[in-house]
Amino acid sequence: MSLSLAVSWVLPWVTGASVYMALNPRRAQGWIAAALGHGLVLGPLLAALATDVCARSDTTHAWTHAGWPLAAVMLLCGAIAWRRVRVTMPEMTPPPRVEKWKMALCAALLATLAWRAWIALREILLRPTFPWDAWDAWAVKSKTWFLLGHYAPFVPAHDWLALSPPEAYSGPAWSYPSALAWMQVWFASAAGGWVEPLVNLPWLALWVGMLLAHFGQWRALGLSASRALVAVYALGSLPLLTVHVALAGYADLWMAALFGLAVLAWLRWRRDGDSGQLVLALACAAVLPWLKLEGAVWLLLLAGVAGFAALPRRLRWRTLGIAAAIALVGAAVDRLPLPLLGLGWAKVGLTRIEVPVIGALSVRWHGSALAGVSMALFGQSNWNLLWWIAPAIVVWRWRELCAQEPLRLLGALLLACTLFLLFLFLFTDAARWAESYTAINRLLMHVVPATVSLMALLLRDVSLAPARGGTAPASSPHSHPE
Amino acid sequence: MIRRGVCVAVVACIWIVLAALVAGLDWSTPLLPQKQIELTGSDFRVVIGAGVQDDRALRVAAVGTDGSALQARSIGSVRAEDFPVLRYRFDGFPRTLELSLVFRRAGEDDVHSETIPFPGDGWTSINLSRLPGWSGDIVELGFAQYATPDVAPASVAFRPFRFDQAELWSPSWRGGLAALSTSWFGYTPWALLSVSALGPQREVANPPPLLPFAVAGCVLSLLAAALILRWSRSRLVRRAVIVLAVLWGALDLVWLADLRGKHDLTEDIYAGHAWSVREQLAPDQDLARAAAAVRAYFAAQPVPRRILVTGEAKYVFLRLVYLLLPLNAAPLETGVAPPSLRDTYILVYRDSRWRYDATLGALLDDRGRRLDPSGSIFRDRFDAAERLEPVLESGDLHLYAFRAGQGS
Repeated sequence: MSLSLAVSWVLPWVTGASVYMALNPRRAQGWIAAALGHGLVLGPLLAALATDVCARSDTTHAWTHAGWPLAAVMLLCGAIAWRRVRVTMPEMTPPPRVEKWKMALCAALLATLAWRAWIALREILLRPTFPWDAWDAWAVKSKTWFLLGHYAPFVPAHDWLALSPPEAYSGPAWSYPSALAWMQVWFASAAGGWVEPLVNLPWLALWVGMLLAHFGQWRALGLSASRALVAVYALGSLPLLTVHVALAGYADLWMAALFGLAVLAWLRWRRDGDSGQLVLALACAAVLPWLKLEGAVWLLLLAGVAGFAALPRRLRWRTLGIAAAIALVGAAVDRLPLPLLGLGWAKVGLTRIEVPVIGALSVRWHGSALAGVSMALFGQSNWNLLWWIAPAIVVWRWRELCAQEPLRLLGALLLACTLFLLFLFLFTDAARWAESYTAINRLLMHVVPATVSLMALLLRDVSLAPARGGTAPASSPHSHPE
Repeated sequence: MIRRGVCVAVVACIWIVLAALVAGLDWSTPLLPQKQIELTGSDFRVVIGAGVQDDRALRVAAVGTDGSALQARSIGSVRAEDFPVLRYRFDGFPRTLELSLVFRRAGEDDVHSETIPFPGDGWTSINLSRLPGWSGDIVELGFAQYATPDVAPASVAFRPFRFDQAELWSPSWRGGLAALSTSWFGYTPWALLSVSALGPQREVANPPPLLPFAVAGCVLSLLAAALILRWSRSRLVRRAVIVLAVLWGALDLVWLADLRGKHDLTEDIYAGHAWSVREQLAPDQDLARAAAAVRAYFAAQPVPRRILVTGEAKYVFLRLVYLLLPLNAAPLETGVAPPSLRDTYILVYRDSRWRYDATLGALLDDRGRRLDPSGSIFRDRFDAAERLEPVLESGDLHLYAFRAGQGS
C-alpha cells in the first residue's frame, strides 16, 4: 500500500473520530467503539465534502487539495476533544466478570463476522465493479470527474443535447446526489488511478464502522457488552447487508448506517440531554438526502417524529390531529405540498403524487405486489429471521415499549417508515419494483439497523434465567452493564 | 418420560409432514423410487464442443465456437409425469459454468432448455415437475454448459470436467427430499439481482423457500412441546428465544456456506492476476473490447463532442456509456428531439433495430424512419444536410459520424 493510500484512509478515519469526540467527550460505556465506528462512517463523507469544496478544478490530485482542510478539521476537533475529555473524564468502573460460556459465544459470533468481512474484502479487492447501479448510477460521476481531471455538471438528456458544445455530461442517473461520487474521487486520486477495488473499499469500512458505532451507542444506551455483541452479530449477519459490502457500490448501506446512527444519537440526546448527540443526530440525518434521493423522505419522517416528541405533551395529540386533518384535506384536493430536501416540493393527492425529478406516481391498490412484499420479508433469505422476530418481540415486550418514551418514539418512527414503504410498494406504481424484487429490499435496508436497535433496546433487560418463584422471564427496570 | 417420548415423536411428525407438504409428497408416495432410468455419461454424444469417453463417463474437453458445450442422447419415449426427479453427477464441474437441462418432447422440433442447480460434489437432484416444459413424452435429453451469465467471462470460463451419470426417478420420498435439500443448501452464483434480493435464481424450477418452512417447523414444535410437556408460559418464552436464536445461527451458517461458494467463483476467475488483467476479465468482455476500440479510435482524433449509444438491451448501452468514460457519451433516447446532431457520433452495438442505408447516408429503423442530424432524431423527411457515415466497424460495433455533404 502506498503512503498516499494509507494517508487517504487514516486521515478521514481520525478526522471522523475527532469530530465525534469533540461533540461527545463524555466517556460513556462503549465510547471507544462509538468513536472509532463513527470515524469510519463519517470520515469518508467528510473527505467527500472536502473534495467537493476544494478539488473541483483538479480531481486528479483531489486528495492533496482536500487533505489539508481535512487535516485542519482533524487538528481542531482533536484539540477540542482533548480539552473536553480532560474536563469531563469520569471514573470508569472496571468491567464485571463475564461467564466463560458467554465469552466463548461472543468470540464465536465475532469470528463469523470476521469471516464474512474477510470474504467481502477479497470480493472487493478482486473484482471490477459488478452490480448494475454501482457503475451505472453511483460511479459514473466519480469516474467521469476523475478521468476528466475536473468537475463537469450532469444534466438531463434534452439539456445535454441542446448544449453545443456540451460542457456537461448526461445519463440516467444525472440527478442522483453526489456525495459518494466525491468520496470515490478522493480514494481514486489517492490510488493514482481509477482502480475500482480501491474506490469500492470504503464499503467494507462502512460496514465495520456501522457495527462498531452501533455497539458503542447500544452500550451507552444501557445494553451489556455481551448483549450489545449479540445485537452486533444480529445486524452484521443479515445476508443482504453482507451482499452490499461484497458487491460494493450502492448507496443503500450508507443510508442504512446514517439513518441508524441518527436515530441512536437522537435517542441518546432524548435520554441524556447531551447536545453533542443532538448535533450528531442532525448531521447524520442531514447527510441522508446528499447520499440518495430517498433520504429526503427518511429525513422528513425523522423530523416529523422528532418534532412531535419535542412538543409539550398536552399539545402533541392536538397538533398531530390538526396536521392529519390538513394533510387529509390537502391530499383530497390534490394539493398537499411536502418539502423533500434535495428534490423540492412533492405534491401529494389521493390519486396522484408528483415528485420533482422522479416524476408522477399514480395511487391505487396493487394487490399483485403483496406476494413480492411478503416474499421479500418472510420468504427469501435476505434478512434471516429479522422480519419474523421483530413483530414477535414488539408483541412480547409491548408493555416496555409503551412504558419507555425513547422506545415508544423509536417504535413510532419505524412504524411511520414501514407504513411509508408499504404504501409505496402496495399503493403506487412502485409496486412493480416489489414484484421484481429490484427495490423493495434495498429500501427496507435503510431502516434495518434502526429496527435492530429497537429489538436490542426492547430486550436489554430481559433475563432468560428462571425467575425464582416467578412465572415470567425476569426483567429489571434498569440495565446492569457487565 | 413417556411425555418426553411422545413429544419427540410428535415433533418428528411435525417436521416430516411439513417437509412432505413443501416437497409435494403424500402418504402414498413410496419411500424409494419404483422406477429408475440410468443414463451413463458415456451414452451421451457430444453435440457442441468436444469430449471423449472415459470408462462409463464422458470427459468434456472443450466448448464450441459459441463458448458452450452440449451433450445429449435419445431416451426413447419417457412419460414426463412418471419421472419427476432428475439426479445428476459431475466430477470437477467448474463454478464458472452454468448447467442447463435440455430436452425434447415427442412431436416437437424445438428443444426446451432450463437452468438447473450447480452440480457440487456427489449427486445433485431437482424436482422436474416444477419445470414449465416437463410434460408429455420426452424423447431426447441432454446437458448444456456455458459461462455463468453476468459473472464469468467467457474466455476463462471453461475447464475440462467429467460427466458421470444422470438418473430419472419416479416419485419417492428419497428423491423429493433430495431435490428439496439441493434447492435449500446448494450453491448459487452471484447474479445482477443479488444486490437487490437473495433467492430468486435463474433456475426456473422455483423451489420453495427454506425460511417459512424452518419457522413453521420451530413454532409448531415449540407449541407441541409446550402442550405435551405442560410448560409454563415463561418456560415456553425462554425455550422459544433459544430455539429462534439457534435457528438464526443455523440459517446464518447456510448463508455463509452459500457466500463461500459465491466467493470461490470470484477467486477462480480473478485470484493471482494483477489489476490490469482483472480489469479485462469482466463478464462482458465483448463490450469492454468494443469500448476500448472506440477509445483507441478517438485517441487519434479530435475529442468528440458527444456520442449517442444504442444497443439491443439496456444493459448493453448503459454499460458501454460507462466503459467509454471519460468520452462524453449518453444513451440514444429516441423520444428526445435535439436542436442539432452535428458533431455527434452514433455508436450502434448489436442492435437489430437500426440498419445503415449507404445511399441515404442515414440510419433507418425497422419502420423506415431515419436518424438524421437536424430537427429530431426521428424524421420522415429526407432532407438532411449531412450524411451519416460509418467511421469504425468491427463485428457488432458500428460507429457513425455526420459528415459534410448533401444527404439524398
